[in-house]
Amino acid sequence: MEKMEPGEMIRRLTGFIRREGRFDSVAIENLRKMPGGASREIWSFECAMERGGETSRRAMVLRRDPGAHNISSNRRHEFMVIRAAFEERIPVPEVFWVSEDPAVLGSAFFIMERIDGETLARRLLRDDTYARAREVMPAQLAEILAKIHRIDPVKHKLDFLEEPGDNAALTEVRRYQENFRVLALEPHPAFELAFRWLLKRVPKMARKTLVHGDYRIGNVVFGPEGVRSILDWELAHLGDPMEDVGWMCVRAWRFGNDQKPVGGLGSREDFFHAYEKASGTAVDPEAARFWEVFGNLRWGIITIGQARTHIDGFLKSVELASIGRRTAETELELLNLIE
Amino acid sequence: MQDRPTSVELLEAAADFVDRELVPATEGARQFQARVVANVMRIVAREIKMEDPLVRSEVKALARLLGHDAPHLHSLDDLRAAAAGMGEELTAKIRAGEADDGGWRGEVLAVVRQSVEDKLRIANPRYLESDIAIRNAAKPQKEI
Repeated sequence: MEKMEPGEMIRRLTGFIRREGRFDSVAIENLRKMPGGASREIWSFECAMERGGETSRRAMVLRRDPGAHNISSNRRHEFMVIRAAFEERIPVPEVFWVSEDPAVLGSAFFIMERIDGETLARRLLRDDTYARAREVMPAQLAEILAKIHRIDPVKHKLDFLEEPGDNAALTEVRRYQENFRVLALEPHPAFELAFRWLLKRVPKMARKTLVHGDYRIGNVVFGPEGVRSILDWELAHLGDPMEDVGWMCVRAWRFGNDQKPVGGLGSREDFFHAYEKASGTAVDPEAARFWEVFGNLRWGIITIGQARTHIDGFLKSVELASIGRRTAETELELLNLIE
Repeated sequence: MQDRPTSVELLEAAADFVDRELVPATEGARQFQARVVANVMRIVAREIKMEDPLVRSEVKALARLLGHDAPHLHSLDDLRAAAAGMGEELTAKIRAGEADDGGWRGEVLAVVRQSVEDKLRIANPRYLESDIAIRNAAKPQKEI
């Protein structure tokens, strides 16, 4: 996709917002690209909007599909999921406008409120500034997750969400088996053993709900006081809510703080208990364990995929290449969990 | 043969430069990338030092596990190919359920764990050390 001149992008964005918001005039300031990774583009800006003599200003973020990328997800779907969460009073940005018309900015995009704060796990776990946040966030994250799992897909017209079939767990294991077979360039017996372990313990889905799909530290905006916003809803789908619970327990998100299995912040017991209290449902420890093992396996396969992105030449990056040597960390954790 | 410095010495010199001169002189994403570069150089240095004995012992262990005679191989390429080939053979047996339970499962777990630990000796020895420490701390105390 051709790069647009910043002036041109501002011009088109201004016109788009003026039309969509039915404003008399719009001014965009400080449009800047944020580090966002290869699979999406994130731009930040301040927007002044005037209608009938009254002006309002909001800090905003624009998420746009880049040119070629090997994860496909739909900006309009993500927009609708975040809007549903916002309407259910979950801490997420307010979403404003979405467009699938490539004539506007070259590819599909949506615009939402910008919520300022920190996202880096390393800072959360080490800086004194976040001592209070560390204490409160496990329970906050459990409560927010319980709310996410109560979002009614019918009420919010999220009919584009794929049905998981009779067994969400089996669907996900098969999906990642297929991904693994396509991506791996060498044998990984530790992963093979983990797949066998999972296939023999597929849990029955106690509930079918909206699942965030990437709920973890790294996708949470926080401040010294705690959680401010949940980000990155592009992997939301219908399934077993325990999938999100298990993903929170994946070792990679402990960022070295291995004594505290849930995001390097707290114990599984405390997290499950807070989730149970907030959701009014029980967390089956065996189901949670299945999804924790699955989550580690899924992350391991993602690390293989990220290295492939460099190896295959889609995006040459020493960082992506080096991630291929981290797959062994997840293999070790899987052996620890299934032995 | 090549003159001194050795490949390992060259990599360690380059990594030291990155850590001492580039990391402190950069910020944010670029500093992060500089750290990644130094780390990658140190991984390669460890691999040059350690790969040969590790893949040799992996080939022996896999052969024993799979009931083959230990192959007599010399070149690193041949050793790697043998490890990969037997890895595929082990994969097929695991997929067929042969390691699901029973006595052989224990042997498979031990060999697979050893090969994963060997990968970490090269890729991230500190991760391995801390994992061993955590697992040792969690073990129940043995009665004397």
